[in-house]
Amino acid sequence: MPTPFIMPKMDMDQEVVTIIEWLKKEGEMVTKGEPVVTVETDKITSDIEAPETGTLVGILYHENDEAPVTQVVAYILKEGESSTDLPGVKELSRESIQAPSSTPSHAPAETTPNLRATPVAEKMAASMNIDLAKVQTKGDKITKTDIENYLITPQPAQLGKVAATPAARRMSKENDIELAGLSGSGPRGRIQSTDVAEAAASLTQIASPKLASLPKKDTQLVAGRSVPLVGKRKRIAERLTASYQNSPHIYLTVEVDMSNVEASRKRMNKLNEKAGKSSISVTAYLTKLVALTLKNHPYLNASIVEDRIEFWEDVNVGIATAVPDGLVVPVLHQADQVSLSDLNERMRHLGKQARDNALTREDVDGGTFTISNLGMYGVHSFTAIINPPQTGILAVGATVRKPVVVDEVDSVEVRPIMSMTLSVDHRIVDGAVGAEFLADLVRVIENPDMVIY
Amino acid sequence: MVNWREEEFDNEQTMDARQKGEELGLSNERMIEMYRTMLKIRLFEEMADKLYALGKVHGTMHLSAGQEAVAVGTGFAVSRSDYMLNHHRGHGHFITSGADLGKMMAEFLGKDTGYCHGRGGSMHIADVTANNLGANGIVGGSLQLAAGVGIAIKQRKTDQLVLTLFGDGAANEGIFHESLNMARIWDLPILYVCENNQYGMSANVNRVSAKTPFRDRAAAYDIPYFLVDGNDVLAMYEHAKKAVESIRTGNGPYFIEATTYRYFGHSKSDRNLYRTKDEIEYWKTVKDPIDRMEGLLLKADILTVDAVKKIHEETVQEIDAAVIFAEESPEPDVKDVMEWVYA
Amino acid sequence: MPEITYREAIRDAMVTEMRRDETVFLMGEDIGTYGGAFGVSAGMLDEFGPERILETPISELAIVGAATGAAMVGMKPIAEMMFMDFILLALEPLMNQAAKARYMFGGKATVPMVVRMAGGSGTGAAAQHSQSLENILMTIPGIKVVAPSSPRDAKGLLLSAIRDPNPVCFIEHKLLYKVKGEVPEGEYTIPLGVADVKREGTDLTVVTSGIMVNKTLSVAEKLAAEGISVEVIDPRTLRPLDTDTIINSVKKTSKLLVVHEATKTGGWAGEVFAAVCESDAFDYLDAPMRRLAGKDCPIPYNRLMEAAAVPQEADIEAEIRAILNNVY
Repeated sequence: MPTPFIMPKMDMDQEVVTIIEWLKKEGEMVTKGEPVVTVETDKITSDIEAPETGTLVGILYHENDEAPVTQVVAYILKEGESSTDLPGVKELSRESIQAPSSTPSHAPAETTPNLRATPVAEKMAASMNIDLAKVQTKGDKITKTDIENYLITPQPAQLGKVAATPAARRMSKENDIELAGLSGSGPRGRIQSTDVAEAAASLTQIASPKLASLPKKDTQLVAGRSVPLVGKRKRIAERLTASYQNSPHIYLTVEVDMSNVEASRKRMNKLNEKAGKSSISVTAYLTKLVALTLKNHPYLNASIVEDRIEFWEDVNVGIATAVPDGLVVPVLHQADQVSLSDLNERMRHLGKQARDNALTREDVDGGTFTISNLGMYGVHSFTAIINPPQTGILAVGATVRKPVVVDEVDSVEVRPIMSMTLSVDHRIVDGAVGAEFLADLVRVIENPDMVIY
Repeated sequence: MVNWREEEFDNEQTMDARQKGEELGLSNERMIEMYRTMLKIRLFEEMADKLYALGKVHGTMHLSAGQEAVAVGTGFAVSRSDYMLNHHRGHGHFITSGADLGKMMAEFLGKDTGYCHGRGGSMHIADVTANNLGANGIVGGSLQLAAGVGIAIKQRKTDQLVLTLFGDGAANEGIFHESLNMARIWDLPILYVCENNQYGMSANVNRVSAKTPFRDRAAAYDIPYFLVDGNDVLAMYEHAKKAVESIRTGNGPYFIEATTYRYFGHSKSDRNLYRTKDEIEYWKTVKDPIDRMEGLLLKADILTVDAVKKIHEETVQEIDAAVIFAEESPEPDVKDVMEWVYA
Repeated sequence: MPEITYREAIRDAMVTEMRRDETVFLMGEDIGTYGGAFGVSAGMLDEFGPERILETPISELAIVGAATGAAMVGMKPIAEMMFMDFILLALEPLMNQAAKARYMFGGKATVPMVVRMAGGSGTGAAAQHSQSLENILMTIPGIKVVAPSSPRDAKGLLLSAIRDPNPVCFIEHKLLYKVKGEVPEGEYTIPLGVADVKREGTDLTVVTSGIMVNKTLSVAEKLAAEGISVEVIDPRTLRPLDTDTIINSVKKTSKLLVVHEATKTGGWAGEVFAAVCESDAFDYLDAPMRRLAGKDCPIPYNRLMEAAAVPQEADIEAEIRAILNNVY
């Protein structure tokens, strides 16, 4: 009987390895213990050894394929055996063959008889209250990746596939109301225009599992009022929840001396005043400096798209802006290339648009990085949640005049110091990468003339 | 294959052009004109066939080569103020009525300069303002429209008539009977000319018609009838003229059946499997209407051999010029496809 | 204003126009001494004589064919089909010749003829004498199709039809002939291709023609007492259809019902639905568009079955209520 060559499982959560290179090719002789294939896991690259001496045949997974662990990936034919002895691939993979060389230290999790999901996936689903039946998988088992994908993919209800009359749809668009949140009074639960009209008039309770468990209004111990979680607020809530759940955030804080920026800005504004141009704001200046720095740190100007990392060509910096009913993030496209005065003008324009609730789709789309500035409120430092699908956000605090040590001889001077906290998505940006960016940014802010002119 | 049957015509074969001319009050020039017109039709049809073979004509065409004498004989017997309705094989009638060859060719090529601005094609060619109410794609179509034209003429009390041509196939359509019946009860000024070229599309007339010739059908509607050799142009003219005079004096409709033959197939997709080569040869040689007229005119010294050649050359030039005009004409603008749906 | 019957209004139109224009004449079966099968041409033979009141043999094909030919040479014939069902014998000249002459001849011909026909069920005339064939007539480009629902509409529309340079099918519902209504004296025309809002409303739009108009108006009146406001639109001309009026109404009411006696499958309600969906009125629909139409069966002889084969007031009322109660 040909010897099955099984891919060992090397890690608790591991489900697949990526084949990097077959060191031995189909039909070649291998010796027991000899490295036969190089594979890569989440964490490391390693070589897998042949379990037996013989001819390597029936390779099922090739370079760049993902091969499942604990499964057969090839066979070794001993003397006298031939390829016709190989069982059908399907037959063998249905048998759950344990890898002889792996020593998992965990007890195998309880799995459902038909093995629909991997143990890890099952645990995840159970802890997150996810119905496995709703999770899609390309393989024959639901994996951790599948669950992760399920979490970030909008479900059909959110895609707008609700039964609603054309009039109801039109009204929902006009009133910025999510159809998915409404219950329909029409036949078969169809949403009618009256349903949307009532929601727009806003004093209706929206059905929601979490709210249902709250005490009723008349038994509340604290008086108050309720408004439905609809429209923009609801969308912000959803997006930020998703971001917080899906992007493992790490936070890096620095303080930066704003003296040179202030001096430079003063000089520029004097000239601008003479020329009748508006004065450059601190935020605009900072945005420009951030944008220029981002150009040299591509991982901070990137996004995870499905199974790829997209490094964006343009540096489109969004500025988080508070508006009466929430938060908007108008985007300054190509901030690294636009001149500082143009950037400043554009920011003023967008600010006005935001206040007038007149931002267009183009104004808020395409951001690759975000700056959030709460300095005007006196906040010294804070952490911000990344705006998906971006990878980083810079939270800027107030510039405070503080005594700081300024040279090697420990002189102390009062300088304008600003705290910045960078949040990055650890899936793409490791601490060191983020720190490099921040260090670069500090250097640029403290020496703006090097880059501005 | 059913053999054609030699008919006993009601007319006498023309033997002497000069004598006939005198009898009918036809000048030599007029007779030469008749000859020229027949030749023009023949060469035109042959050119149309050539153009089709070259792939320049979209769709199909129904060529009347061999039937020229019917067109010329009847066409010369009516006046320009009379109406004409014909059928899908109507190029000859149209040419006889004085149509511009260039505009005809242009219509076949679907050009904007065609008689119908390219909207009609060969089967629907018309010049309504010249009282030519068109070819018709529906067999027997002319018969129903003729009744209406006749009614109009009577109401207006003019002495016009409507020359209505149709084929042997149409004689079996219901409208044939409805039309003849109406023509008789109201004495409509319709000259019914049945161009019996022996075949519908592929069906020999004797096989599909109860009793031929159609003498008794006309009689059933009490309409005067005459059976003429449709390839004897002077005889055709003579009896068409008689019919015209009868109609103009208020006697109502008249029915002429003209026996003739078509050389080309019914349409361009006809492979002539339903008749023999011998049959076609016979009609082309022994009975050809143009040869006969040419012979008569030569014999009577009304034409010389050189004159014949000259007429031939001139006609070829005319047709070539028409083709050039048509080919150089512009196509109609596709954007105008919805024009003229409603008035 | 004098009240005359639908039949008299039609006669009035023909007489008025025949006096004014000597190229107009009427041709059809039994239109002379008999005065027409439905009495429409009574008395006209005496005034206009046998040439202009041209009584024909039973030859529908030739009647319409001859009308086409006469129209082509400048007359204005009105051909009468005793029963609309008989137009089927004459579809060839109507659709192959009259509808196409102008187009085929590159704009150089006109066919200003009218074909009047008596259609519809309710007289016990059974399958071959009771049809409403507007579905067929509407499909051919080049023809206009008119269906008046009242004496006033009938006269004005017929005068327009006779003057229209295109072939016009003029559909008269048999049950309407005796209906009385106010009709202005003398000449007046109602343009073809313009719908009439017979009753204004806000809750639902009903598009309907012919005899169904009166039924719908009765139902609307009844529902008004309950505070239900139905808008009733009579297209009057089925081809070309005045879709603008319908679209604007649907935008106002958000709900649409089409009621016609012609059979359901291939029925012109589909045309109305398509026009609404192709317009911005689609975004205003708050309920599925519905139709009531003649059942897909020949008209039966039995009186009760005959009534059941086409929409009646009770059906119209039930359907309107159902739509407004969001049953669909």
